[in-house]
Amino acid sequence: MEFTLLFAALTAAAFGRLALIQVPQAARRRVSDLALGAAMSGLVVGRIGAMISDGVNPLTNLGTMAIIRAGVDTGFASLAALAFVVWSARRQLVLLDGLAPVALASLGGWHAGCLWRGTCLGTASELPWAFAQANSAVTRHPVEIYAAIGFVLAALVLAKVQFKPGVSTGVGLAAAAAIRLLTEPMRPSISGGPIGWYWAALLLAVGATLFALRR
Amino acid sequence: MRKYLVALTLLLGACAPAASSQGQGEILPDLDLSAFDRTIQQSGRPTVVNLWASWCLPCRSETPLLVEAHRIYGADIDFVGIDVQDDQVSAQAFVAEFGVLYPNYFDPAAAYRVANGGTGVPITYFFARNGTLFDTHVGVLTEQQLALALDELLAN
Repeated sequence: MEFTLLFAALTAAAFGRLALIQVPQAARRRVSDLALGAAMSGLVVGRIGAMISDGVNPLTNLGTMAIIRAGVDTGFASLAALAFVVWSARRQLVLLDGLAPVALASLGGWHAGCLWRGTCLGTASELPWAFAQANSAVTRHPVEIYAAIGFVLAALVLAKVQFKPGVSTGVGLAAAAAIRLLTEPMRPSISGGPIGWYWAALLLAVGATLFALRR
Repeated sequence: MRKYLVALTLLLGACAPAASSQGQGEILPDLDLSAFDRTIQQSGRPTVVNLWASWCLPCRSETPLLVEAHRIYGADIDFVGIDVQDDQVSAQAFVAEFGVLYPNYFDPAAAYRVANGGTGVPITYFFARNGTLFDTHVGVLTEQQLALALDELLAN
């Protein structure tokens, strides 16, 4: 059981009760459909992406598509979920704006889930709040806690401040990309991390925000 | 719509595994448990021991990461693979498919897992320089988890 995802879902549900109050009742009814559709799209596309990356043909191995434990490509999954939500709610920007802080809070919950998995630590640090894992003397940045705090703060700001329609969505995506980009250097990595994806998301978000502001 | 489906079919068809055409690799040596443990104790270098099987889908996700880690950290850390509950032909095909350059051993009875603990595959054991077991990871390693474990091995 992936408790970090469960924790993200619970955070989204709890925060959604607060953040979606501003969204009209009629639009709010679609939230659960959107969340479910986004989750399913993300899982299917992410799983297919992982199978192709692993050299497994999804058409001839349909049964293994259901084995989520074998890997889900988070890049493809995120893109698919995002595309599903944006496309489905493209005529209801107010709904997208209402969902933006919920998504940020959910990401905060997912990062905070590191406390359950014992995977909060990043690169070595001697800051007073840095701590070491069991059997180790090396103190490290609690990088996932930094990210969790950043996401929750961004969610609170977005939930409180009123923008023009569409701006909250753009600012939310920009905040998510910026938080990941800022914390990535403190995250242990072999390949250097998906920095390019974060820059692409940031640029896309800034463009979307500017477009929404000028409408 | 139909042309997109045809294009998608061709694209996915091109991604079929190449394992069936490979399998020309060397025979994996049988694991001698006591000799293997002695080597880890005496090497004076941190060692990563990865248990895998060719039929294990999570192992397919994990192996490219280990191959990349070996390429980067191989000068300072020893990497060893142990193939469990498998057959030689499939094991050789797996090693060839992923271009695994670190040594691999054949352990069809999974004796190493019985001796060191853990359930299923993949399992990764991290040994410190002095040969003591530093950490055990059951399940697929993420890049972040592996990078942190390797950093810890080098620091301690």
